[in-house]
Amino acid sequence: MNIRRVSSVAATAFLALVLLGHGATAASSSSGPKLPQLDLATYSSQVFWLVISFVVLYFLLAKLAMPRIAEVLEERQERIEDDLDKAETLKKEAYQVRIEYEKALSAAREKAQDATRHAQEEIAKQSAEVESAAQVKVTVMLEEAEKRIAASKTGAEGTSGDPISSLERSVAQVVVANAVQKLIGVDVTAADIDAAIAATLEERPQ
Amino acid sequence: MASPVDQFKLKTLVPFEVGGVDLAYTTSSLWMTITVVAVTLFLTLSMRGGRLVPGRWQSLAELSYEFIANMIRENVGAEGRKYFPFIFTLFMFILMGNLLGMIPYSYTFTSQIVVTFAIAITIFLGVTVIGIVLHGFHFFTLFVPPGMPIVLAPLLIPIEVISYFVRPVSLSVRLFANMMAGHTMMKVFAGFTAALGILGIAPILLLVALTGFEIMVAVLQAYVFTVLTCLYLNDAIHLH
Repeated sequence: MNIRRVSSVAATAFLALVLLGHGATAASSSSGPKLPQLDLATYSSQVFWLVISFVVLYFLLAKLAMPRIAEVLEERQERIEDDLDKAETLKKEAYQVRIEYEKALSAAREKAQDATRHAQEEIAKQSAEVESAAQVKVTVMLEEAEKRIAASKTGAEGTSGDPISSLERSVAQVVVANAVQKLIGVDVTAADIDAAIAATLEERPQ
Repeated sequence: MASPVDQFKLKTLVPFEVGGVDLAYTTSSLWMTITVVAVTLFLTLSMRGGRLVPGRWQSLAELSYEFIANMIRENVGAEGRKYFPFIFTLFMFILMGNLLGMIPYSYTFTSQIVVTFAIAITIFLGVTVIGIVLHGFHFFTLFVPPGMPIVLAPLLIPIEVISYFVRPVSLSVRLFANMMAGHTMMKVFAGFTAALGILGIAPILLLVALTGFEIMVAVLQAYVFTVLTCLYLNDAIHLH
């Protein structure tokens, strides 16, 4: 609502009040004030009952109502302070626990790293052992094989002077004869094949 | 039509006279009694549970209490604690009296100049006595503004003295005039409503707004009365 309008209406109302007041006094024009508040005859009783009411209310509030309110407010204040204290100690405790936890965590991590390193070393050692053992075995076997090859070589050379055995030669003769017959349809003799083998053996470096 | 100020007339409910002095129990006395009962019930029943987390009524009671406690702390300081029960009683008495006066057909005892003046003069005398007891003759330096050039003394000291002695008058008239004017205005508009017939809807709407406004005035004037009491008390305790 418009404030200016309210105030103008209020001013009108006051004007009306003043006029009504004048009208009332003019109409009655009898003795006695126009305002009931100015009637001195009522003052003694009003002051008397005011004093009684006020004093009674004062004692009711001071002795009954206010201590109760103060008590409740104090209790709440104490409770809040208590809770704040508790929260503070809990926070400290939580901090302590966290520090301990972190310590334990780093210790465990170190331990784990130790274990891993240890295991890796162990594995490396074991594999090195196995490897060296295998190396030795292989060397021995190689040596043996070489010896055997050498022995068989000298043995073969020593027995016939022929680089291939007679069984090998006969197998070669049959295979070559059949293969040539199949491939180009020419019959080759055993002598031809022997000659070819000899030529091949000669061409091949010993 | 009855005059808008007829509402302030007192009706004698129980005639009572002591030694020729009229001490009759009137409508004003009745509403003072209702105020005492209402304030006491409000401040005790609402705190009955005394819950840690207050409900609506308990909140209202605690708010009123802390409102005045803070007012004293801010305006008077730690020395004001002694007067807390008195100032709290004063505030609740005037506030409840003003608010109950907004109930139709009730009586607003704070619209009686004799009532407000009796309260104000009591405060004035009490505060002056407190000042003299605390400071002795030194109390009268209250009338000498600090840092005043000596040439201005003949002018300023009488002004200070007058303004000091006008305090009970201004304190009581402010409350009385506000209450009387508000209730009179509402009665005038109610009269318009009766006179205007169907057009009376307009003043009724205005009356609704005025009722809200008057409730605000009721609270505000109780606050102003109390805060001025605190300031006067502060003057007496601290002298400027």
